[in-house]
Amino acid sequence: MSNGTASGPSGIITRSYKPGSIIYFEGDKSEYVYILKSGKVVLTSIKLDTGEEQKEEVRPGEFFGVKSALGKYPREETAQTVGNTLVLVLTPADFERLVLKNSNVVRKMLRVFSNQLRRIVKMERSVLGETEIVNPDVELFKLGEYYYRQGQYRHAQYAYKRYMEFYPDGEHAALVMKRIRAIDAGEPSPPDLGADHASKPGAPATDRSDEAGTGEGSDLLDFTDSGDDHPSASGGSRTALTDEMDDFLSDDVSLGIDDLGAAGGESPIELNEAADASRLRGSFDEALELYKKIISMNRTSSPDEKKVFEKAHFDAGVCLMKLGRQREALDMFSTILRAMPGSPYVKDAIFQIGAIFESAGQRDKAITYYTKVLNMPPKDKLSGEALSRIKKLQGK
Amino acid sequence: MAPALDERFFEKFGVEYAPGEIIFCEWEPGNEFYFIQSGTVRIVKVINNREKNISDLTDGDVFGEMAILEEQPRSATAIALDRVKLLKFHRDNFDALLSGNPALAYKLLVIFSKRIYEAKRRLMILLLEEPSMRVMDVLVMLAEKDPHLDFQNEITLSVTAQDVARWAGLTEEDAQKELTHLSRTDKIEMFGDKIVVRKIREFQRLVASKRKSMYQK
Repeated sequence: MSNGTASGPSGIITRSYKPGSIIYFEGDKSEYVYILKSGKVVLTSIKLDTGEEQKEEVRPGEFFGVKSALGKYPREETAQTVGNTLVLVLTPADFERLVLKNSNVVRKMLRVFSNQLRRIVKMERSVLGETEIVNPDVELFKLGEYYYRQGQYRHAQYAYKRYMEFYPDGEHAALVMKRIRAIDAGEPSPPDLGADHASKPGAPATDRSDEAGTGEGSDLLDFTDSGDDHPSASGGSRTALTDEMDDFLSDDVSLGIDDLGAAGGESPIELNEAADASRLRGSFDEALELYKKIISMNRTSSPDEKKVFEKAHFDAGVCLMKLGRQREALDMFSTILRAMPGSPYVKDAIFQIGAIFESAGQRDKAITYYTKVLNMPPKDKLSGEALSRIKKLQGK
Repeated sequence: MAPALDERFFEKFGVEYAPGEIIFCEWEPGNEFYFIQSGTVRIVKVINNREKNISDLTDGDVFGEMAILEEQPRSATAIALDRVKLLKFHRDNFDALLSGNPALAYKLLVIFSKRIYEAKRRLMILLLEEPSMRVMDVLVMLAEKDPHLDFQNEITLSVTAQDVARWAGLTEEDAQKELTHLSRTDKIEMFGDKIVVRKIREFQRLVASKRKSMYQK
């Protein structure tokens, strides 16, 4: 190539290019940052969403190739000269020295970069459809609940206090206040999983007063008593999860879905799509309602309907778990084992039961269920996951 | 970092945290970003009722920087692991801060360069329609992140099916379905917390040609 190179007094290299030369190609990896000294450079890139080519002209005095050099990733555009062109070639160290002496440059670049980042993150959010689903107040509350259940009261307290700071009128405010006081007093009430969560997000206002008072019910399970395989030994009036489980497996447990009413003309298959979409968005309570609706319709005549009916049980269980309603989830998964032993969801349901026991700190029970999964053909991903969980539990 | 800025800046912007203290938590509104002067900060996220470590940050690192852009809920929780000294900057002080502290500004420039690329890369995955393509591209993206991997050979990625689902914008079930398919055809091998990919180049090619044909439509 007849393009020339010269090294200036500062050690910074000046390069001259003939018209139409490529300075770098899209996809090249290089640490150099360029400044256009004279001439003209055109940057050609592909628009992410449409694949269109877009061209951008660099004017003398401007930098190019900065982001990919600093971020250490491949060039995202091709840089080509239009006329006879002179560029300065900087290593990242040169570049750093240069911009540190000139804070205006950094500020300008930062502004450009942050605008770009803001735009891309926005686009990402809109593709994911996140904007509608997330309720930060509910999530903040759930985070507090998570730490509370883990016995990490300081962390729980932090989340609760933030909740009260930002959402003093939030739907969980009463319960949050109760928790804060309990932790302040050094006597957190026994974790009250299940019932407390049962009417959570989106629940009618009338439920709230009940919710705050359900903490001490003697029939509730102690899910945080981890490491203790026999919670009944320590918590006299509390029912051991093991016993509960056996009850679930032998009794006919009402699902309590009779009051859900008519399905509004939608077929279970349509409902299932809506439910899956809600679940995908993370709206687990919404999804749960829809799955329960499918269950209440009890339509199993066609193979498709039967599949959706069985799937609804499993996914309802998953939603319940996500909502922290482990006991109801257990109920749901048990129904699959009991009422539809031929269903393709049996193995997954057993696995989830194992997971519920695991989260309750019931190691032996968890291992029992994971082992059942392990022994069920075919040897699939779930078997592998069961095995690794068993190993983890045994390694403890 | 330049020691020159410390004294003056610490008086004005310095905050200290005790071991185990939360600096900010996931979902609370974020208006400040932080620069670590000393100590270690752990970034965690609660995913499916489990606390997951995202990263440990130490002297000279910056975190919470997305707050510079807009008021969005925090996407993770920051906890002090030991005694931690931080500089805490409100979004509104941003300009003043930058003019007084070009070194920090440069650091942010580097971080933003990386964030822009990562966000674009994630977006590219989400713009693919087929779940199978998305899942493959997640694996390609993760492979690209590790400069030590040899793409000519079998590679091992530390990732769970759940992670893949999240990157791919799929439900866990759908992601699992695609992964199971790939594993049945022996393109990958699944373990609890890692995935072995036989030929990552093949995934790269498939995704690239898909992207091309998508654009031509």
